[in-house]
Amino acid sequence: MSRTGPERASSAAGAAPMIDIRHVRKQFDVRGGGEALVLDDINLSIAANQFLSIVGRSGCGKTTLLNIIAGLDAASGGEVLIAGRRVVGPGQGQGMVFQQHALFPWLTALENVVFGARSLPLAKAEKIDRARELLQLVGLEASAGKYPREMSGGMQQRIAIARALALDPDILLMDEPFGALDELTRIEMQQELLRIWEARRKTVVFITHSIGEALTLSDRVILLAPHPGRVARDIAIDLPRPRSRTDRRFNEFYEQIWSGLSS
Amino acid sequence: MRQQLIQALVALLLIAAILLGVEFGVREGYLKAYEFPPASRIAQGFVELTTVGFPTGVTIWTHTFVTVMRILKGYVAAIVIAVPLGLLIGAVPVLDKMTAPLIVFFRSVATLSLLPLAIVWFGAGELTKVILIGYGCFWVMLSNVIAGVKYVDPALIRAARSFRVSGWTLYREVVLPAALPRMFAGARVALGVGFMVIVGAEMIGTIQGLGALIMEARSFYRSEITVIGMLVIGVLGFLISSGLAAFERLLLPWGGGSSEASR
Ligand SMILES: Nc1ncnc2c1ncn2[C@@H]1O[C@H](COP(=O)(O)OP(=O)(O)O)[C@@H](O)[C@H]1O
Ligand SMILES: [Mg+2]
Repeated sequence: MSRTGPERASSAAGAAPMIDIRHVRKQFDVRGGGEALVLDDINLSIAANQFLSIVGRSGCGKTTLLNIIAGLDAASGGEVLIAGRRVVGPGQGQGMVFQQHALFPWLTALENVVFGARSLPLAKAEKIDRARELLQLVGLEASAGKYPREMSGGMQQRIAIARALALDPDILLMDEPFGALDELTRIEMQQELLRIWEARRKTVVFITHSIGEALTLSDRVILLAPHPGRVARDIAIDLPRPRSRTDRRFNEFYEQIWSGLSS
Repeated sequence: MRQQLIQALVALLLIAAILLGVEFGVREGYLKAYEFPPASRIAQGFVELTTVGFPTGVTIWTHTFVTVMRILKGYVAAIVIAVPLGLLIGAVPVLDKMTAPLIVFFRSVATLSLLPLAIVWFGAGELTKVILIGYGCFWVMLSNVIAGVKYVDPALIRAARSFRVSGWTLYREVVLPAALPRMFAGARVALGVGFMVIVGAEMIGTIQGLGALIMEARSFYRSEITVIGMLVIGVLGFLISSGLAAFERLLLPWGGGSSEASR
């Protein structure tokens, strides 16, 4: 076990968890018969307003886990609770940002964000007001009329974040959201995300395969080990923000995660 | 822009060189006018076609009008039936599985090979021609509409589901717009098929229409008239295709892959 075990991290997180993942298992039917166990007995308690990152090798089940929390996929065993309620589908307080932004290309930036509020019982005008406010939050009110194709990767991902916030979710689930961006845009977007997180106070589950990114952003980093996917380490990152990549403790954490990943 | 201009200029020069070469070749007796109608003969033929007509009384305008009307009737009928049918089949996996082999089969039957049978069933008149054009256009359009609905980017569907959008709303607001570019591409390919079919279909049982013109000119060794028939068909196809492209840009201002579809 690691020096900072799960006990310590979750006790630091507080009492009533926002997300409670209990004994979650997931297996897929394999073509040609049999089953592949992708997630095995995942247990995680995530406190409200916590920024948690999940790091792990490609194929270890990160997306699968996130989709289960999102209510987009069903677990084969176990359950996920959000604020004490069992997750049976999307829209129970989860907002999702996908790796390839997944914006609707036929809708403008504003319309995409309005779509995020599609299932709210609000008048159209109210949805538009809310969408404009969110565009302002991500700094893109001037691009409201642009189509996704006319925007850079960073702008697209900002719109995707604004859209994910349209249902005013308590939880933001982000699947390698900055993975496709260049390094500079990526760092900008990390700062932007922290700013939004501080302004709106969400519980964030953030998937990345960049250790540096996880350390820059998170209160807590989970290492997922592959075959089958399981929690290998649970590390509380008690560094003040903004964080510096040249800081000594930052690098100690980096080493710790790196050794966990390569072992 | 400048490069386009140079390309156009080179193309024009090339055409001019070929025309001059043929003109000279015929005048000096190296080429037979029957095999290589020179530009001067083609121009004379065109004047004849606009005044006297060929056969006498049927001007190029009549031929063109008749052909366009036949294509439009068959084409529009095909689209009007194929679009709703394709939208239905694409949305219902069972229907899709059942119809897929049939569609591949009927689409693979070269339309003109049905001509003898069609004449037996529908006579050698207008109906047969319109039905053949409709047949050719229909299967192409149908398979494109089905594919458009079926192969919507799953990431977009996931995104919509994450906002609690499902069922009929999902189909109308995500699947349908996502399928539009493919449907437009299908409409263009179908139009091309219509032009291919018409020339063959008009070679029997009529003296009106561009196909009939080409056939008739051939039996009188008037190769310059067949060339004019070909040119008019080419120009028509180009014009209608450009019209469709403009319509697509108007309807899909977000640029749903029109550049790929135009090839
Ligand atoms: N629908 C599915 N059917 C079968 N296997 C799947 C399916 N989705 C994911 N997998 C498998 O589950 C494993 C974990 O996938 P994923 O969660 O996407 O990993 P990660 O996001 O960590 O890269 C992979 O080996 C993948 O092949
Ligand atoms: Mg993944």
